[in-house]
Amino acid sequence: MSRPHLIDRRTCLRGLGASLALPLLETMGWADALKGKAVKPPLRLGFMYMPHGVIPDQFWPASPETFLKSPPPALESLRPVLDQCLLMKGISGVPIAPFGSAPHALELSTWLTACLPDADKRDQIHIAISADQIAANYVGSLTSLPSLELATMPQTHKENQEGLNEGYYSHCSFRSPTQAVPAETNPRNVLNRLFGKTDKPGNISQTDPLDRQMLDLVISSAKDLRRTLPQGDQHKLDEYLDSVRSVERRIAAMEYRQKEAALEKAGVSSSKRRASDSPPIEIKIPVSDKRSEYMQVMCDLNVLAFQTDTTRVSTYIGSTPNGVSYPELGFADMHHSQTHHNNKADMVAKVAAITAFNISQFAYMVKKMNSLREGDGTLLDNCLMLWGSGLEDGNKHSRENLPFIIAGKGGGSINTGRFMANTKGNQGDLLTTILACADIPLDRPIGIATRQIKEMMAKA
Amino acid sequence: MLPPSFFRNDVLVMLLLCCAPAWTQPLLAKSPADPKASDDTALLALQTEVKKDFKNKVEPFVKTYCFECHGNRKSKSGINFEIAVRKPAVAPFSEIWTKAYVSMSAHDMPPEDSDKQPKDDELQRVLDIIAKTKYLSAKDPGPFVIRRLTKTEYGNTLHDLLGVDPAVAAELPDEVPGEGYMNSLSPLQSEQYLSIANEALNSALAAKGAPATALQKRLFGETPAEGTDLRAQAGKVARSLARSAYRRPPSEAEVATLLAVFDLGRTNKLDYTASLRLMLKAVLVSPQFLFITPAREAVAGEKIVSLDDYQLAARLSYLLWATMPDAELSELADAGKLHEPAILKTQVKRLLMAPRARALFDGFGAQWLGLAELADKTFDTKKFPQMTGPMRTAMYDEARLFFDSIVRENGSVVSFVDSDYTFLNGTLAALYGLEKTVTGPEMRKVKLTNANRGGILGMPGILATTSFPNRTSPVKRGVWVLEQVLGQRVPPAPPNVPTLEKQDPKKAASLTLRQRTELHRTNAVCANCHKILDPIGFGLENFDAIGRWRDQDDTGGAIDAVGELPGGKHFSSPLELKAIIAARRDDMARNLTEKLLAYALCRKLEGYDEIVVDRLMETIAKDGFRMQTLIAEIVASYPFMNRSIE
Repeated sequence: MSRPHLIDRRTCLRGLGASLALPLLETMGWADALKGKAVKPPLRLGFMYMPHGVIPDQFWPASPETFLKSPPPALESLRPVLDQCLLMKGISGVPIAPFGSAPHALELSTWLTACLPDADKRDQIHIAISADQIAANYVGSLTSLPSLELATMPQTHKENQEGLNEGYYSHCSFRSPTQAVPAETNPRNVLNRLFGKTDKPGNISQTDPLDRQMLDLVISSAKDLRRTLPQGDQHKLDEYLDSVRSVERRIAAMEYRQKEAALEKAGVSSSKRRASDSPPIEIKIPVSDKRSEYMQVMCDLNVLAFQTDTTRVSTYIGSTPNGVSYPELGFADMHHSQTHHNNKADMVAKVAAITAFNISQFAYMVKKMNSLREGDGTLLDNCLMLWGSGLEDGNKHSRENLPFIIAGKGGGSINTGRFMANTKGNQGDLLTTILACADIPLDRPIGIATRQIKEMMAKA
Repeated sequence: MLPPSFFRNDVLVMLLLCCAPAWTQPLLAKSPADPKASDDTALLALQTEVKKDFKNKVEPFVKTYCFECHGNRKSKSGINFEIAVRKPAVAPFSEIWTKAYVSMSAHDMPPEDSDKQPKDDELQRVLDIIAKTKYLSAKDPGPFVIRRLTKTEYGNTLHDLLGVDPAVAAELPDEVPGEGYMNSLSPLQSEQYLSIANEALNSALAAKGAPATALQKRLFGETPAEGTDLRAQAGKVARSLARSAYRRPPSEAEVATLLAVFDLGRTNKLDYTASLRLMLKAVLVSPQFLFITPAREAVAGEKIVSLDDYQLAARLSYLLWATMPDAELSELADAGKLHEPAILKTQVKRLLMAPRARALFDGFGAQWLGLAELADKTFDTKKFPQMTGPMRTAMYDEARLFFDSIVRENGSVVSFVDSDYTFLNGTLAALYGLEKTVTGPEMRKVKLTNANRGGILGMPGILATTSFPNRTSPVKRGVWVLEQVLGQRVPPAPPNVPTLEKQDPKKAASLTLRQRTELHRTNAVCANCHKILDPIGFGLENFDAIGRWRDQDDTGGAIDAVGELPGGKHFSSPLELKAIIAARRDDMARNLTEKLLAYALCRKLEGYDEIVVDRLMETIAKDGFRMQTLIAEIVASYPFMNRSIE
């Protein structure tokens, strides 16, 4: 018992099986005090979406010089953290021909893939792995949850524009070209599953100590079954088995943490948390059905997941293109109905208000990250948060200058506090650059990308 | 600027897909069934003949008139006849022939400005051959599509197995529908299967120390007496648990795995019952439970095998009941008798008559009629405060009970459109103006005297889902009737078409919706499709956006429900439109058969399926298009009873 952590690690390794990449052991102590090494905190990637575009002249800053002092109306809520934000005008979207009459079915599904569905298989999901899932593939094994997908609306909207599979309408994360990753919409589920706690007393979710080994037996016996299936169907079984394996991994990681916590309590400091780090934030599940509160609790969960290093990749669909209404703003109209405003002042004002509202939720999240200490800086310093929409101007369905906001220095990789008024690049370039900032190697550029937008990056 | 040639092609493709042939004599599917094709030998002969014709007649024809633009050198619109003519039956090419058939019979191709034009009889000869492309498909039942149980099926199955509330599965994500497609699970959600299994076991089995529940005794048997060989006993339990949960007898290897889980419990000092519990949990998270899998492995070299009776029982039960086979089906499967035609037919009837057959509506009917989205659809609450939760439920239930009544009473598919009764409660009766006679929350059968109502065309739930939040949409309603009732494909609107809201407000202000829509049809590009879609929608304009009768539209102008369909079919009220649609019972029956067959097989229909449907239609027509026959024929059909192996 003299070196208990080693035993833990061995147990952990055995439980994880061969499917788990070794780096977990390295990262479980990214600030391993025992080794006396100050390791850099990990970088977290977050994506947050709003459909239908913006009112361009209320979103884009007047000039790079005035950006910090007098931000445009839409960005008002970000004022306190503007020096940690980066705006780029000139990022073009994927041209959507031959799906010309499906701007809304594609705005979300092209957002993180930067490519179009396969036209010949349009009635199925057949697009490309999305940037968030590429990141999750690379860093996901380092945390108990590979990635977190959140939304505030059900993803079951049925409208197959241009004969496209209905799933395109409300999904942006794709684990593979044929698998859409559904998002969790219930904050209570997230809290419960992610952190094994709930705000309802006496309802703590528990895993059975033997579950992990039981799952291991189930998976290994499924090989026989797999053999009997036609090749084309084997991937469906694999998909399920993969998900069971990920449960196994999560249980292992949770057990590891429990032991770590116990060690910490016993005075053996093996925790990766530093004394200077802020304690985990509190989550309160709202009782009202106010949209702001719903969106904010999902933001809180995202912050908590990053703060506790439960995951390093999150995707948050603020709302899907079929849209919601915002009674809090004093009108009952649906988002989409107002975006086709034909420059009518009252409708423009409503779209501007909805946009500012959505950005203020993003601001809420990044400001909270900015308030949390981590290592020598803040949590936000170690995050790269991208807010954006898949259309520029919902009135025209234009995609020439997609609105994007980056918040966070991305672990020092992003040069923030700027407005780049004449950025050259497309949304694939942007995603490719973001993954490069996160040190995620790519075997090919994302979607329509042709280059990295080096101008975004901090000088090394 | 687009190059002009590109633009022209685009328009052509759109036209050929949406113009008149879609209404009159649409795709190959509708070409009259060749009587010779009714048995396999005749089919083979026919195949040889069609192949020869393609080589000798179609190939020279396309070489002369089509290769210049649609060949290896140039393949406009991605259409290449040089390849397609050699393998006309291969799936992507058969689609090319379908398109070619439509555009050539509409004289859109070859284009007018082409120097070479075929003579009418020359063209007709080739069209007749192309219409027989379907006979080239080899006899093939298609694969048995492996899929995870849906959320509903999973909840129902847990209920039947463990007596728990099906709502235990409520937290699983909803499936994204599609032909056989199932969405994947996020890492967070995949854990739910394990926690649902835990939850289900907690409610089904006794807590530690408490006396065994009745269900527990049934699943695990009595607690063995002292001195019993516990492992042998556990083996028996494993076999019986797996037989129910996997819906087939387990293999020896599968039993061994479950026993290994039992041993895991025992080694970790769990008592006998707790170890069985762990074993049952393993059953519940096994892929064999979550996927329908065959009992019999195919022998090497086999290309097509019939489903074993266990697989057939599961397929049938999930189709009609959305749950695992009950005792009677399981016994028939054990006895190896289920596939016998008479027995299968009796079982279909038995399942359809049981209350659980509502699953067929919830899974298929609601999707077919488009009602699945009613619960979440947005309405302008100021204009339509009536669209409350109870109203939406009543609308859904009306369609459900109506569908159910036709199935139960073995009515004809025509009665979906033409009936004189419906199901109402007090809430819904208000939309019919029957609130004085029908009161209270309970749904009941109501005889209708107004012949404009009765049938799906005048049903509020359907009229509401095919409307915008604040007004009716004749176009949406027209598309719905064509696609969902008559089974025709309506292409999406071409890009850059302004919606009604974007029309010049001054010009539009004084017009009724009908006049405004017609204004939008003055554009030639739009007119081609809309001259078919719009009349149907206008014929239903007497029903407002939530299905109430009205004589004036929102502008105060009188409703003009007069219209004409291609072929000179004239109508002036929903009642007359209903009669025109109801007369097309072959189309309605074929549409329903195709949609239900695809649902039953969890895949898109293609290739040989077309011939299967042709044959089903003969039998179904002979029996007066009755629903139970239609369903029983689908269950007895070749692709339902067999599977191909890659």
